[in-house]
Amino acid sequence: MTGPVQVVVVGFERPAFSGEVMAELDRLGQAGTVRLLDVLLLARADDGTFETLPMPTSPSPGLGILAAEILGGADPSAEDASEPPDGSGWSLADAIPAGGTAAVALIEHLWAAPLRDAIQRSGGTALEETWLAREDVERLTGLMEQRET
Amino acid sequence: MLLVPRQLRRSGMTGSVPYYGGRFTPAQAWAASHPSGPPARPRPDSRDTEEALRHLRESGVLTAEEYDELRARARR
Repeated sequence: MTGPVQVVVVGFERPAFSGEVMAELDRLGQAGTVRLLDVLLLARADDGTFETLPMPTSPSPGLGILAAEILGGADPSAEDASEPPDGSGWSLADAIPAGGTAAVALIEHLWAAPLRDAIQRSGGTALEETWLAREDVERLTGLMEQRET
Repeated sequence: MLLVPRQLRRSGMTGSVPYYGGRFTPAQAWAASHPSGPPARPRPDSRDTEEALRHLRESGVLTAEEYDELRARARR
């Protein structure tokens, strides 16, 4: 493992897997950009409990095992046992609403490993890390187009 | 299979600092609103302590030596 690993949780009202997302992740993997480490499908019941679901188009029978091990366990008594004391913790229970279905992916960002190492070597610390909203991206696009003309 | 979500620590891409989405952690928020730190525990009143020691001495729980030693400690 070399790159930082991101957890992406995507909710679905009605799970519909055309294979398009997996195909794109495959393409990025072949380009050395990211690596899909595992993906897990979950349903959360109205009472808040989680149940893993089989991937409808999975070519691998072991898909989801790694993500389930990292993000959860099967022992209800262990819930919240390891919550960080400074309040920096999170769990799937914060992300997935009751009655929802979600795909949870563990994605290794191979492209980011050299950048991360360079930041660490230079003594930099990440103070914020987020994505621009669509309207800000559109504004940025407009500004870039203005500069090009 | 039933899955019980586990608490995980947030991290930024660099992994060197906790990532809180730009928000204060509870500990940071507390520190920001309490710049002088937590209030010190009030010291017990030495007169109450001496009175309690005297009671213990008079009731035979403490010897004279023990009483003198503990009273000296309470006055420090």
